[in-house]
Parts: sequence; C-alpha cells; structure tokens
Amino acid sequence: MNAVFRQRLLNLGGLAVAITVWTFYAVYFSPTHGWTFFLQLTVNGVILGSVYALIALGYSMVYGILKLLNFAHGDVYMIGAFIGFGVLTLLGGPLNPAIPVVLLVFCMFVVAMLGSGLLGLAIERFAYRPLREAPRIAPLISALGVAFFLENSALLLFGAQFRTYDGFDLISYNGIYLGGDNGVFVQYLGVIVIIAAVFLMLALLALVQWTRLGKAMRAVSFDREAAAMMGIEPDRVIATTFFIGSALAGAAGVMFGLLFSQIYHLMGFLAGLKGFTAAVVGGIGSIPGAMLGGLLVGLVESWARGYLNGNVSDLVVFGILIGVMLLRPSGLLGTPALQKV
Amino acid sequence: MRKLVVAAMLAAGVAVLATAALGSTNSPKRTASVGAATVTCGKTRTIGLAAPFTGPAADIGNQQVRWAKYYVKRWNAQKANRNRRIKVIDGDTQLGVDTAFAVRVAKSFASNSKVLGVVGPAGSQEVVASTSAYKGGRLGFVSGSASRTTLTDGHTDGNRRGYFYRTVPSDAAQGPTVANWMTKKLKWKRVYIIDDQEAYSQGLADGVQKILASRGVKVTRDSISQTDSDFSSKIAKIPSNTQGIYIPWQLAPQAQAFGQQLRAAGKAKIKLFGSDGLFAPGVWKIVGSYDSAFPYNPAAPAVKAYIRAHKGKGEFFGLPSYVAAQVVVGAVTRACADGKATRAEVRKQIAKTKLKSTILGFPVSFAARGEMRLPASYGIYQIQSDGSFKRIG
Amino acid sequence: MSENTPGIPESAGQIGVDQWVERADERTERRGGVAGRIGRLWERLPPAGKLALLTPAILVPFLPFVSEGNLFNYGLFILIYALLALGLNVVVGFAGLLDLGYVAFFGFGAYTYAFLSGTHANKGHVYTHHWDAQWSILTAVLVCALLGLFLGSSSRRLLGDYLAIVTLFFGQAFVVFTNAADPYGITNGSNGLANVDPLTFFGFTIDSTRGYYWFLLGCVVVVLIVLYCISESRTGRAWKASREDPLAAEMMGMPVNRLKIMAFSLGAAIAGLAGCVFAAAQTGAFPQNFSTQVLILIYAVVILGGTGSLTGMIVGAIAIIASNQVLDSTSPANVGRVLFYLALVAAVFFTMRRSWPRLLAAFAGTAVFGLVVHAIVDAVWSRGTAGHVRDGGFLTGLIRNWVLLPTNPGRLAVYGYLLMVACIIAVVQLKGWWRLAVLVPTLYLTAFVWENLLVQQPAVTRYVLFGALLIAVMTIRPQGLFGTAKVEIG
Repeated sequence: MNAVFRQRLLNLGGLAVAITVWTFYAVYFSPTHGWTFFLQLTVNGVILGSVYALIALGYSMVYGILKLLNFAHGDVYMIGAFIGFGVLTLLGGPLNPAIPVVLLVFCMFVVAMLGSGLLGLAIERFAYRPLREAPRIAPLISALGVAFFLENSALLLFGAQFRTYDGFDLISYNGIYLGGDNGVFVQYLGVIVIIAAVFLMLALLALVQWTRLGKAMRAVSFDREAAAMMGIEPDRVIATTFFIGSALAGAAGVMFGLLFSQIYHLMGFLAGLKGFTAAVVGGIGSIPGAMLGGLLVGLVESWARGYLNGNVSDLVVFGILIGVMLLRPSGLLGTPALQKV
Repeated sequence: MRKLVVAAMLAAGVAVLATAALGSTNSPKRTASVGAATVTCGKTRTIGLAAPFTGPAADIGNQQVRWAKYYVKRWNAQKANRNRRIKVIDGDTQLGVDTAFAVRVAKSFASNSKVLGVVGPAGSQEVVASTSAYKGGRLGFVSGSASRTTLTDGHTDGNRRGYFYRTVPSDAAQGPTVANWMTKKLKWKRVYIIDDQEAYSQGLADGVQKILASRGVKVTRDSISQTDSDFSSKIAKIPSNTQGIYIPWQLAPQAQAFGQQLRAAGKAKIKLFGSDGLFAPGVWKIVGSYDSAFPYNPAAPAVKAYIRAHKGKGEFFGLPSYVAAQVVVGAVTRACADGKATRAEVRKQIAKTKLKSTILGFPVSFAARGEMRLPASYGIYQIQSDGSFKRIG
Repeated sequence: MSENTPGIPESAGQIGVDQWVERADERTERRGGVAGRIGRLWERLPPAGKLALLTPAILVPFLPFVSEGNLFNYGLFILIYALLALGLNVVVGFAGLLDLGYVAFFGFGAYTYAFLSGTHANKGHVYTHHWDAQWSILTAVLVCALLGLFLGSSSRRLLGDYLAIVTLFFGQAFVVFTNAADPYGITNGSNGLANVDPLTFFGFTIDSTRGYYWFLLGCVVVVLIVLYCISESRTGRAWKASREDPLAAEMMGMPVNRLKIMAFSLGAAIAGLAGCVFAAAQTGAFPQNFSTQVLILIYAVVILGGTGSLTGMIVGAIAIIASNQVLDSTSPANVGRVLFYLALVAAVFFTMRRSWPRLLAAFAGTAVFGLVVHAIVDAVWSRGTAGHVRDGGFLTGLIRNWVLLPTNPGRLAVYGYLLMVACIIAVVQLKGWWRLAVLVPTLYLTAFVWENLLVQQPAVTRYVLFGALLIAVMTIRPQGLFGTAKVEIG
C-alpha cells in the first residue's frame, strides 16, 4: 500500500466519519429532526450532486490536461441549458410536443451536448490555444474574459427574462412515495437524471481507461512534450478533451432546466463555482474525484439549505472548500503535487 | 531619495487638504441649485419615468412603462394640449438587480434641470434608497407600485413627506385584505408564509402573519432570496397537509419556478397565494393560485382602449402607473399655468390633486403623508386555466 | 572571447548567456515608427516629469468645460477605477499573485465608511455614527489592510491557481454576506446602506462633484508617488523577483511569504481608500456595486494598461471607464454610435495596415456592398428597411440608407450576432485577399447587428466588448499597452 493510496483511504475514512456524525445530529438532535426530512434532503442532494458532478468532470479533465482553470465552463453549462430550451420551444413545448416526449427529451440532450461541445472547441481554439506557452496568468485572464463575454452575450441575445422550462406532465411531476404518503417523494425525473449522469460518468471512465484516445489523454496530461515525441498530437487530444467536457456540461444544463425549471444568463456563474468546488474537493485532475466531489457538494448544499438559512448555505459550501484546501490541498482523491525545481 | 519621498508626500498631502477645503467653499451646492431653479415652461414639459425596463422584474416594469406612456400619449393627442405637451425621459432602475441603479437614475433626474416631476420608482426598497437624491433635487415622485406601509410613516424608513406620493394603497390595506380572504372565504387553518427578503415582501409577510396568528391559524414562516432558483430544500420542509402558501414576492418567474417545483415534489394540492408583485399573467400561470392586486374599473373607456391596443393583454399591474402619470402631468400643467414653474410648485400641485374619477374605479386625492384617501383598496384575483387573472373579490 | 568571425554576431562567443535574452535591448531600441519614438522619449523623462505630465495634462484642463453630470459619470469613476487599478497592480503586477476577490476589499472599505459616517434606520435598529471622514477613512483603510493580511496569510500553502480560487470565493462570500438579511441591520441586506454623509475633514465638507474630483485626484497622485517609490525600493525589487521565480527568490534569502502578505495588504488598503470615497460620492453602498462585473472592469483596466506599469493604469482607466460610461443606458446613444463607427474604422486599419490598396478597397467595398444590399432588400422586402434609428442624431440619414433596419429585428438580429462572431473569427484566421473578401460583408454585418441589437442595450454591449477585449489583449499582446513583455523560461 503506497503512501498516496493510504492518504486517500484516510481522506475517505474521515469523510465517512464526518457524514455519520452529521446524520446522527440532523436526525436526532436538530430542531427539525426526523428521518423523513433528512432522507428527502439526501435524495434531493444526490440529484443535485449528479448535476454538479457532470460540471466538475469537465473542470477536472481540462485541468488535468492543460493545468488551466477554465472559468468559462460554467457558462458553457448555461448555454447548454438555453440550447435545450430552444429545442424544446422549437418542437412545440411540453404541452403539445410535435414528437413523443421521450424522443423530445432525447433530442434536447443530444442537441445541447453537441452545441456545448462545439462551443467548447471554439473557446479552446481561439482563447486558450494561442496562450499555451504564455505565463500561467494569461489563460486564466482569457478564461475570465470568455466567461464574461458568454454571460453578457446570452443576456443580449435572450434578454434578462428568466426562462422557465415548462415541465413535462409525464415525467416531471410524477414520482413515487417511499414509505407511505408522508414519506420521501422521489421524482421519476430525478431518477432519470441520476441514471443518465451515472451512465455518462461510467462511459467517460471507460473512455479514459480502455481506449486509445483515453490513453493519449492520460499521456498528454502527464507530460505533453514526451507525448508529442511518442507520436500523439497534443492539439487534437486537447480539443477532444474540451469537446467531451463541454458536452457533459451541456447535458448538466438541460438536466438542471428540467429539474428546477428556471434558467437565466447568470446561472452558469454560481453553478460553475460549485462544480469547480466539487472538482477541487474531490481532487482536481481525477475523474472519480470529480464524481465524489460533485455528490458531496450537492449533499452539503441540500442539507445546508434544509437546516440553515438559504444564504448561509452558499457560505457553508465555500467554507468547506477553503477548509479542505487548507487541510488537503490536493483534494480527497487527488495526488499531492510535486514542485519541480 | 528618502528626503525627496517625504517632501513629495507632504506636498501632496497638503495639496489634497487644500483642494478639499477649496472644493467645499468654492462651488455652491450644484444639485440643490438645479432643484430650486425656475424653469420656463415652453410648449413641451419634461417628466421622468423611473421603472425597471430591464432585469428580472422587467415584465412588471414594462407594464408600468406602457401604461404610463399610454397616458402621456393620450394627453399629447388631445388638441387642447397642443402647447403643453409632455416629454418623458426614461430611467432604468433594474429592480431586482441592484438598488444602486435607482439611486443613479434619481440623481440623473435631479441634476437635469428640465425634469419637473417623476413617475416611479417601482420597488419599495428603491424608494428608500433614492429618497435623499430626490429630496436633494427638490423633486416630487409618485409611485404606481411601492406599497410598503412604513414608507409614509415619516420615521421608520426615513422621512419623505411632501416628496413621495403613491397611487396604490399601502400594504397596510393589502395585508388585512389577504388575511381576511384566507380566513373567511378560504377558511385555511394551516398556512406557510415565505418572503423574498426584500423590504416589500417582509412588510407584507409580517402583516399577514400577525393577523392570521391572532385568528388561530397555524402559521410557519420561511424565506428565500431573489437569486434562488432551487427551492427543493425549502419545499421539503413544507408539510404536505399545508393548505396554502403565501408568497408576497416581486419576481414572477421565481414564483412560476417555485410552483412547478412544488408540483414536481408531489405537493400540487397546496395552493399558492401571491401579492401585487406577482400580477404578471403569462409569466406566473399556476392555475388556481390566488393573487391580491390593485383594483381597476373594467368599464372605463381608457382600460378598454388599452386592452384593444395591446392585443387583449390587460397588464393590470401597470394600471396605477397610468394614474401616477395622470397626477404628475396634471400637477406640472397646473404649475406651468403662469408660464414658469419650480419643482416646489409642482410638488404643491401634486398634494392638491383631486381626480373625480379614475380608471382605478375610485376618486384619487392625497393625504398629507402621501397616501391616497379612501376608498382606495385591493382586490383578490385567481389564475384561470387560460392564464388570465380573474377578479373574484 | 568575442572573435570577429564573419557571419557570427559579436556576442556569440559569450558563455552562459542566452542569445535571445542578450538581444532584448536591441529589440526594444528598434521599436519602429512613431510609437517607438514616443516610447523612447517617455522613458527618458525623469519620474517626476512623467507624473507632472500624466496627471495635470490629462486629467485637469477640460474641467471648466464639463457639466456636473458628466463629471460625476466620467471623471469620478475614471479616478476611482484608476485608484483600484493601482491597487490591483500591486498584487498582480508587482507581486504576480492572481487575486480574484479584490473587489471585496473595495466593498469592505465602502461599507465600513458608510456604516461609520452615516445614519441608518434599518429594521428598527438605528445607527447614527457621524464620524468625521478622517477617522472613518483611516479605520476603513486599516480594516482592509488587516483583511488583506488575513487573506494573504492563507496563500502560504496555496500555489498560483489555488490562490485564485480561494480569493474568488472570498469575493463571492463578501457579496453573499452583504446580501444576506441580517437581523441587526448592519449591512441591511440587498437594500444596502443609503444616506451616507459626504466627506467631512476637520469641519470642511466636500459636497460638490468638483470637490470630490479634486480630492480623488490628490489621492491618485499620492498613491502614484508612494507606489513609484516602493517599486524602486528593495521591497519592489523583491516583489519582482518573487513574481518571476518564487523558488529562486526564496533561495536568495527573500521572505517570499511575507512579501506576498505585504502585497495583499497594500493592495487591499488602496482598495479600501477607493471604497470610502466611492461610498461618499454615491451617498450609499449597495451589495451589487461590488459584483463580479466590477472585478472584470478593474481587470480590464489593469490588463489593457499593462501589468506592472503605473502609467498604464491611468491610461487604461481612462480608456475603459470612458467607454464604459459612454455605453451606459442613461447616455444618449449617439455618442456611443460615433465611437463605435470610429472603432470599426480603426479595426479595419489594424487588420489591413500592411497594404494601402487593400485598405482603400475595404472601405470602398463595404460602402458599395452596403448600398447594393440595401437597395436589393428595399425592392424585395419593404419591411426590411422600414425600421427607425435609435437616437440617430446627425448620422440618421446615412444609417437609414446604408444599414438594413427591419421593423421587427428580433430573431434576425440574434442570428446576425452569431454569424458576426463566426465571421470575425474567420477574418482573424484568414490572410491576404481572402481576408479582404470576408472583411467586407463582416463589416456590414457588424453595422447591422449594432444598429438592430447592440445599440438597444448599450449597457450589456459594453460588457460583451470588455470580455472580448480581455481575450484579444491576452492573445495578441499580453503585456498590454505599457507593460513589459515577460519571458517564460523553461
């Protein structure tokens, strides 16, 4: 058992202990005690966490390969949500869809993922590629610029009006009660979202571990020059990484719209920050880490909103990030960074 | 080198203090001088319109804009007003984004010597924040929607008597109307109240809560912020046997999202009850929800003409702004009767307003503190299946 | 050591010196044309001369001709952002730390001043501290410096990127904190603190915009002097060293952590000062005054001006803030329009500067293209040209006959915008005659999008432009206007 593995195990152990303690407190000692409330919040948290995990994956992948914090990622997520909304409206809306509902939702996902992927490609090509050899601060500032540009372009083009994804009668509003009529309510849509997210994450893992492209991605993230010398084209690999990461963010955007029905041009900023927290907490550069981090952030946010005041919950999430970063700068499942002298 | 530094800094410091002293004694109070100036009323008089043209409250803001400009258009179209036309300057306060915009709009109106009176602003918090700017410019302002009760009591949120008037009844009337409907007509016993942490919302929520509690209704209170879009945790807290949720919010899209998420959580049986800020047909369309909003007279020709001109859309949230524009235009015209006017004169004329019949359905005149005299009151509406708001009380 | 072998430059034989680094002086000397000459002249001036030229020459003469409203909108904001940029320059330019929460210090200063020098009746709690400005400003600056210290000390364990994250969260936490409904009415939630006293020093009150302008000018001058002296001192040089290579600096005995903390502190203190004056001038402090948009503006100023250069901060502030205010929703659209077309002309110059015939062809071609398209559309679809020009002023006639103005632009404008972005990217990628060929319709399309979409919402357009500006500056000229090009070794 090497040292890294041991540290990761320690991290996970500490996490498990913290969650158990919290569960005990919330269910038995807090003012709103009771299992039902806690479980309902947990279910909501898992659903939300899946969305954040998809965003976090994009951040992790890009950071792993380019050592770049892509601040514009949250805005790609926002554009994905808007594309989905556009497709929805184009095909008649949920009240009189031109094609069967399942097909409609599938279309929304596919088009949004394609659109976001292409957007991610364009961003990489024009805002980050010229800055490959520049000092570290340059692509970060460029990323800020892209984020700002996208947010305000969306405002310009779509207006400040919040758009509501009118829900689908068939899937949005139905669900099952677990444990009797006053038990925990689980939306069908929520289940669909979790399954879809898990599927996408497993597909990504398979891609990275078992395909040649995945091997190329791992090689480029380890040492770009050596990979180039081995015959891998770093530009193409990086572009593909961006495409995949952005497509996942687009899918997350559509999911958020379906679940919470409200989309607007600034949603990417906060969601991006949280997805980013998730990536860092889980260990940036690590795919399982991003998934774990996303789940964690979703749960924490749901619990905080349920047991504390709404505004404070955001502060709690940020506070946890800062705490984790000070205690374990490389995250829960990450590799401690070595400084090259 | 060090001596140079010290010398330079000393010199600069003295310069700063000197210029500060100079700056204070040299120039007179600019904005106040603009405010006290006498304006020659020509053929065109200018008023300001402060409303949220853009931002999350843009739909209700633009309703107000359309109604107010509709009045001005009708005024300008009359032959008798050929030589006393009204010109409107827009000020986008972006309610829901940042109160600072309202302050900036107020300042720009105050420093524009041509502006004689202002219609707006829309939000109660905007009124509080921009009061000092309007007072500094001696400008009177008439709002068609700021309904927070404490705005006119002269001490809780500041004193703006003589400057601020409103063509909507205060929330002191809205609260009891809502509570009465809930207890007497709907006979609710278990009510949840959620406010959006804004001044307007909290005032209403507090008022309704007090009355309901005094009548033995079980009330639970919570709050969200105007930037929230995920309400799942709040909704999880609401017990399924709650009969109604009172949501006196300002942003209709938020209420719509809340209603949908409520439904998605399996609690569609719980009815929603909104306030005048949510009077946005087409945006908030949860069928069966109740809403308290300003009354109006559906038989008035102006109302009918407006509905015709706007393709059947009533947009009644903006209706009081029509009356507000009527008040300001009337005051400006009367003050300009002798060819010259000051802002103080316009304010005096606003205070003396007596409109025998308005599209609100009752005559309008103002009490000393800026409220409309009785019989101003609120009405109760319900959202129909076609999305329109039907008056039921 | 240096033999004069033909074909090999004189310095080739020196051991341990990189050729490219050696030739750096040659390159800077050879900066061509007018710009180069002015640059060399500027460098020869003594620093006091630069200061004298910069501030009075640029910021004073037009004073008598400017109206009160304009002075407030332009003058005050330019100076406040110049101050903020100077402070951020200390953190980013001198010490090389990416601080994305800088705007929180600005906010802290403003709120502290607003709380201490105002009267607030929030939710029944009444606070009437009417402290004189000298005490409240001093307190605010000290509080901000301490806060900077605190934030800086957290940077000890964090490398570059992580520091950016933590500071970003700090900035966000500030906005959330001030927005939160607090029971004691200290921040008064999203309503902010209004009714703030104007600056009062020892009995003298500054209550006119002109007074604030002079005061801010004095502040900027003082800060410029202080920063210049610091940058030439030991601390300044240590900052530059730790910026270039922290490990090497540590090896040379510089206390890198302490330097980082000092940089944060100083930057925060300057931001606090700016915040106080801002709150006093605006007579209020509201949470959204300190949002990410303000942060991006400050960064745009710093990046455009050039990190590390004090002159650049002033010039950048003028350029960015002037365009920001021109495109404000309360300004008449005509000024913005004139500037837009001038910028378009400048862009064409920039793209086609290498060949005069192509430049002329571009202008002529665009004009002709526009007239032809307008005529065709006029004949075929009358509603395509029946719209009106918003606040056209003296350009109305020209625009109406040249640009397509549909009565209901709506969707068309949206597609036009997307197409325009794609075309601009294409123009940047192409070369030669192809570039010219795509440039002509792109220019026309840009004018179309401007008249039908961008000019309707100038306040949003400017943010789009600033975002694009950040990207453009970083990809084309990372050192901005006045910065020095950095060499990344290894």
